[in-house]
Amino acid sequence: MQEVMNWSDEFLAGTFVIIKLFFISLVMVITWGLLGATAKLSNSRIARGIANGFTVLCRGTPEFLLLLIVYFGSAVTLTSIARAINPEIRFLDIPPFWAGAFAISLVIGAYATETFRGAFLGIDKGYIEAAKALGMTRFQVFWKLRVPMMWRLALPGFGNHLLSLLKDTALVSVIGVEGILFTAQQASSVNHKPFTMYLTVAFIFLALSTVIVVTMKCVEKYAYRHLEAAR
Amino acid sequence: MQNNPPIISLKNVHKYFGDFHALRNINLDVEEGQKIVVCGPSGSGKSTMIRCVNGLEQHDEGTIMVNGHTMSSDEKIGNLIRQEVGMVFQSFNLFPHMKVLDNLTMAQRMVRQKTKAEARDTGMKLLERVGIAAQADKFPSQLSGGQQQRVAIARALCMNPKVMLFDEPTSALDPEMISEVLDVMTELARDGMTMICVTHEMGFARSVADRIVFMDQGEIVETGEPETFFANPAHARTRAFLDQIISH
Amino acid sequence: MTFESSLILESLPRLMDGLWVTLRLFVLALTCGTVLAVGMVLLRISSRKYLSWPVMAYIYVFRGTPILVQLFVIYYGLPQLEFIRTGPLWPFFREPFFCAWFALTLNIGAYTTEIFRGGILGVNKGLLEASKALGMTYAQTFRKVTAPIAFKLCLPAYSNEMISVLKATALASTVTIFDVTGVARKIVAETFAPYEIFLSAAIIYLILAWIIQNGVRLLERRISRYAN
Repeated sequence: MQEVMNWSDEFLAGTFVIIKLFFISLVMVITWGLLGATAKLSNSRIARGIANGFTVLCRGTPEFLLLLIVYFGSAVTLTSIARAINPEIRFLDIPPFWAGAFAISLVIGAYATETFRGAFLGIDKGYIEAAKALGMTRFQVFWKLRVPMMWRLALPGFGNHLLSLLKDTALVSVIGVEGILFTAQQASSVNHKPFTMYLTVAFIFLALSTVIVVTMKCVEKYAYRHLEAAR
Repeated sequence: MQNNPPIISLKNVHKYFGDFHALRNINLDVEEGQKIVVCGPSGSGKSTMIRCVNGLEQHDEGTIMVNGHTMSSDEKIGNLIRQEVGMVFQSFNLFPHMKVLDNLTMAQRMVRQKTKAEARDTGMKLLERVGIAAQADKFPSQLSGGQQQRVAIARALCMNPKVMLFDEPTSALDPEMISEVLDVMTELARDGMTMICVTHEMGFARSVADRIVFMDQGEIVETGEPETFFANPAHARTRAFLDQIISH
Repeated sequence: MTFESSLILESLPRLMDGLWVTLRLFVLALTCGTVLAVGMVLLRISSRKYLSWPVMAYIYVFRGTPILVQLFVIYYGLPQLEFIRTGPLWPFFREPFFCAWFALTLNIGAYTTEIFRGGILGVNKGLLEASKALGMTYAQTFRKVTAPIAFKLCLPAYSNEMISVLKATALASTVTIFDVTGVARKIVAETFAPYEIFLSAAIIYLILAWIIQNGVRLLERRISRYAN
C-alpha cells in the first residue's frame, strides 16, 4: 500500500489524463457516429460507400494497430513535409495525446455508426406517419421525433461503447501518453513492485467503469421513464 | 346540397405496390359535412385509399383533390393538405416519450406556430371534450387502449382539421373499450365534421354514415346510403361480406 | 514520402510467420475461453447465490478493466509474488505466450458467459413449459431444448466476440510476442515505413475478420434451416 501512496500524485495525474482523453474522444465518437449513420442511410451511393469503408476498416483492424498507424503514419508524413521546408528538422509528430484520442475515436465511432443506424431504423414508422399526418415537415419530424426516439433506442448499445472507449484509453500509454498505465510502468521500474502498480491501474479502471455503468443506469432510468411509469 | 364543390375528390385513382394492384380506378367525392364509412375484407385497399387522401401513400395514376389542392409528390403540397386533414390510426401512434398534453401541443406549436399557452389551452379543451383531461400529465403507456385512442383523436382535432380520416380506429382495442371511442366519433359526427372512417363497426356505420362504401380487391364495388346498403345490397360480393360480418 | 510496394513484398514472409503466432493464440484462447464460459454460465444462471455471485464478480472485473492492463498484471506483475516465482507454474508464467493466452482466455470466458446467458434467457418460456408438461426433467430440457435454441440465438454476438478476440491478440505484441502486429512493429522500427507495413498488417486482420464473419454466417444459415 505504501508503494501506491508514494506514487499517488502521479496516479492521480494519470487518471486525469485518461478522463480528459475519454471526453475528447467521446465528442469525436458522437460526431463520427452521427455522420456515419447519416451517410449510411442517405441516398447517395458515394456517401454510403465511404461510410461502409470506414466501418469495415475501423471495426476489423485491431485498435492497437490503428493507433500505431495514426501516430507513426502522421509522424512520417509530417516529418517529410517539414523536411521539404527545412532540411534541418529531424523528427516531427502530432502530440501523442491527440493522435491517441483520434485513433480511439475512429474505432468506437465505427461501432457507434452501426448503433445509431440501427436505432434510426428501429423507430416505428407509425409515429413518423402520425407526425406527418399532423402536417409536420420533414425537418420538424427529424428533430422532434427521430432524434429523441433514436437516442433512446441507441442508449443500451452506446453505454457499452462508452465502456470500450474508457478501456481503450489504456492503449495510448504505448505511444508515450502519460496515462495511469504509463505511471505504473515508470513506478514499477523504480520500486520493482509491478504487481501492486498494475493492480492499482486495474482498480482505477474498474472504479471508472463503475461510474460509467451507474451513470448510464441513471440516464436510462430518465430516458425510459415513460415506460417505467406504466408498470 | 349538391352545389358545393366536394372537399375531397378522387378521380380514376390507381395505386400499385410493385406488381400488386392495390387500388383500381377509384372514384369518390366527399362533400363538406359528409360522413363516409368504408368497409370491406382485409387487403381490399380501404386503408391504402385513405392513406392516399393525405399523401402517406403516393397514388400512381388519377387525381386526388383535397380542399382545393391537387395532391402531388411535392412535399410542400402534401404538408399543406395534411395540415387540414386529421388522421387517427389503428395503433394510436401516440409519441411514447411525450406526456399526453405534449402529444397534443407539439404539432400546434410547430405547424400552427401557436404559443405554448394557446396550445395548452386548446389541448386541455379537447382532452376535456374526449373525457380524459385528468390524464394530461401521464405518459401514453399509462393509459388504456381506449384512452390512448381518444387522446389520438384529440391530437388530430387540435389542428382544427376540415376533414378527419379514421383508419380502423377500434380494431386494436379490447371489446369493452370500443364503445368509448365510437361515442367520441359519433359526437364528432353530430358536430358536423367531415369524416371518412374505415371500420368494421356496422352499428356505427348504420347510425352515423351518410354513405357506405364497400371495397373488395382494390376497387369500390358499391356505395349506398345505410338503409339500402344493409337491406338491399346490389352485389353478391357485398352480400357475402355482410353475411360474414353479421353472423359474428 | 513515397509508398514502397517492394518493401511490402519483402516483409511478407516475416508477416506470415507472425500470422502463424496470431492464429495459434487466437484459436487456443478462443477454444479454452469458450469451454470456460460453458462452465461459468451454468454457475451464473444458478439460483444459488454462492454459485452465481463469484461468477458475477469475475465477469465484472474482467469486463471493467482493459485487456492490456490484465495482461500487464499477469506478465509483468505476477513475478513480483514469491509464491509464483517458486511455485510449480513458474515455467508457464515466465512465458509471454502463455501469459497472453491466459489473459485472453479469462477475458473471453467473462464476455462469452454473458453472451451465453443472454441466449439462454432469450429462449421462449413457452417452450420450456411445453417440455416440462411432457414430463422432461430440467437437465433434459436444458440439453435438448434450451441449449440448441440458445446456441442459435447467441451466434451473432459470439461472432462479434470472435472478432474482438482476434483484434485483442494484437496486444500480445506489447509483451514481446512476435505476432502479426509484433512483427510489423519490428519491421517499422528497422525501416521506418509505417504506412506500408502497418497497412499490410491491417489487411491481414481484415481478411481474417472477413473469414470469421462469413464462416459464422454460413453456420448460422445451416442451423436456422427450420426457421423459415
